[in-house]
Amino acid sequence: MSQSSVSTTTAPAVPITGSKSDSDTQDRDLLVADRVEQLYSQLPVGILGSGAVGLLATYELWDKRLNELVLWWWGSILLITIVSAGLYFVRRRSALKSADSDWLRWLGMSALASGAAWGYAGAMFFPQHTDEQQIFLAFVLTGMVSAGISVYAGSWRIYAIYAAGTVVPFTYALASTGNRLFLEIALLVPFYYAINVAVAYRLNQVFDTGFRLRLDYGRLTQDYSRLNQRLETQLVELEEARRQVEASGRKLALFAERAPISVIELDVEGNIIQINRMAELLFGYIATEIEGRHSSLLVHDAARQSYLETWQRLVATLKPVSGVKFTNVRRDGVELICEWAITPLVNTDGKLLAVIAQGQDITRQLEAERMKTEFTSTLSHELRTPLTSIIGSLQLINSGVMGAIDKDVEELTSIAERNGQRLLDLINDILDIEKIASGKLELTTEVCVVGDLVSEAMVLNQAFALRFQVSFRALGEFPQARARADKKRMLQIMTNLLSNAAKFSGPESAVEVSVSVADGRVLVSVHDRGEGIPENFRNRIFSRFAQADSTMSRQQGGTGLGLAISKRLVELMGGRIGFHDRVGGGTTFWFELPEVSDKHQE
Amino acid sequence: MPERVLNKICYVEDDEDIQRIVRMSLERIGGFTVRIVGDPMQAIDAISDFQPDLVMLDWMMPGMDGPTLFKKMKEDDKTSKFPVVFITAKASQRELDELRALGAVGAISKPFAPRDLPGQLKELWNSIP
Repeated sequence: MSQSSVSTTTAPAVPITGSKSDSDTQDRDLLVADRVEQLYSQLPVGILGSGAVGLLATYELWDKRLNELVLWWWGSILLITIVSAGLYFVRRRSALKSADSDWLRWLGMSALASGAAWGYAGAMFFPQHTDEQQIFLAFVLTGMVSAGISVYAGSWRIYAIYAAGTVVPFTYALASTGNRLFLEIALLVPFYYAINVAVAYRLNQVFDTGFRLRLDYGRLTQDYSRLNQRLETQLVELEEARRQVEASGRKLALFAERAPISVIELDVEGNIIQINRMAELLFGYIATEIEGRHSSLLVHDAARQSYLETWQRLVATLKPVSGVKFTNVRRDGVELICEWAITPLVNTDGKLLAVIAQGQDITRQLEAERMKTEFTSTLSHELRTPLTSIIGSLQLINSGVMGAIDKDVEELTSIAERNGQRLLDLINDILDIEKIASGKLELTTEVCVVGDLVSEAMVLNQAFALRFQVSFRALGEFPQARARADKKRMLQIMTNLLSNAAKFSGPESAVEVSVSVADGRVLVSVHDRGEGIPENFRNRIFSRFAQADSTMSRQQGGTGLGLAISKRLVELMGGRIGFHDRVGGGTTFWFELPEVSDKHQE
Repeated sequence: MPERVLNKICYVEDDEDIQRIVRMSLERIGGFTVRIVGDPMQAIDAISDFQPDLVMLDWMMPGMDGPTLFKKMKEDDKTSKFPVVFITAKASQRELDELRALGAVGAISKPFAPRDLPGQLKELWNSIP
């Protein structure tokens, strides 16, 4: 495994070091690779040295007697040198992909061959030559053995093989000469060999330490650069996050700045931190003049107590309040009634950071509402007073207490009374609608028997129905079920339903009324035999001024408000209203109210 | 229910047309003895002078409105004992409840039906404890 393949595993998310056994194997492989690399890098020195010394030795040992032998030896040295060089080049060119252990083995063989060649020289030539040549040979062999240390320093084993190749034959030759001095040297040589191998082994260890250090350093550098990379990524992310926060901050500021309502940011003490343009316009201060001052400055003296109480409650509970009205005061002293939504800004730890108050001036709105209420009330009185006189006079005439009148006159006064009544109904309906729209419709509810009210309504509307030659008929006996209802408004709802049914049923027909109880609800139904509700009118039948046919309203009367009012009234009493086609023709209008059982009675 | 039958009724109302209609209704249909007072400022004296069984007060009148007059009547020993019924076109339920709490017998909404007015008054009279 080469070092470069380790670096491909570089990724920020991967742990800096792998598991222990993995990294040990990795380390060993890396050390072998380093060693092989070191050995091969030293190889040219060995080759050149071996070649040069071989040439010199051949020249020196040249002898007429033995020149074939010397030549043959030199040839083998040359061959080993060439093979070693070939090995070197093959590896350098990466022509052969092999495992590091193979390279090591081949180098070992080349070292053994080379060592053996020198050993051969010692064994063959030493005994045959002169004393001077023997000294030369001894020096050459000693030199080669010593030089081998530096060449094969990467692996003490290869060195041991190499040196053994040289020393063993030479020692053997020395020992077999029979010369006492040579025998003594032969005994010393293995000792020197052992020392050399020991030195090589020691060197080897130094190399190993060196390799390891380099490896660790490389890994450290790698870790460091990985860490750096991660930091860089985080930095980029941080920068992006900062930009986003800044952008949303700008967006928020823009929202507040351009908002059509006043926005005031307050600190936890209630001091003004910031106000928007609308607030500047509303209170007549420039932001810079008012920022830093307490917000109660903007509250009227009379409202200050209530404002401070609201503030204290808000700070204590950290719950937003909305729809609170305060009398505020403008810079020039003018009082403003404003409606506020006050929201505490709380961090994730529940600590109050700031308070945002959003408000608007509702002085004019309140004034308009007051005027509208007053107008409605006045209108109500001013319209009803003359109508009281008109309808009252006509009623007195028509009742006959003023004496008998001409039949034609009576017909006319009846028309006048009826239309006066219609006008009054219209006014009442419009006032009801107005009250409903402004949420001012008051109900006085009590628990009552629904069936009794229905019966009462049938009696009250009997006269009206007779004008259309229609009669009311109860379907079965009404149950004694009770509901919480406003009696007057119940009668109004029933009057609407019954009069509608009477108007739209044909002459000589009967409008049937039923009351039933199911699932905790009291259901009142009014069934007619009219023409039914036109398809295009069904979805707006409960809208205001809804009438299927405008010519109908002139003929039959009615304001087109009755059902809209009835719907709202039923809903205010907690019920529902609706209609459906009746089997055999006609329509059923119904409404239901929650039943009050004995248990739930108040 | 009072022991006596309802007979004398005093009506305080500024509108002359309605005065006439009510008089006709109460006299001709109801058969009551009626006294109409047009000026609320003189009502206290007129009522104590007439000693009616029942007093009817209009709600909205120039000078003094019905509720104010009612409170004045209650404060005055000469008139505090007479039962009062309001005739109103605009009172809210809450205002009526307040007046009932002060001792008003009831209210008849305007416009009333002259035909039914005597009957309504008799019903209210009978409801007095």
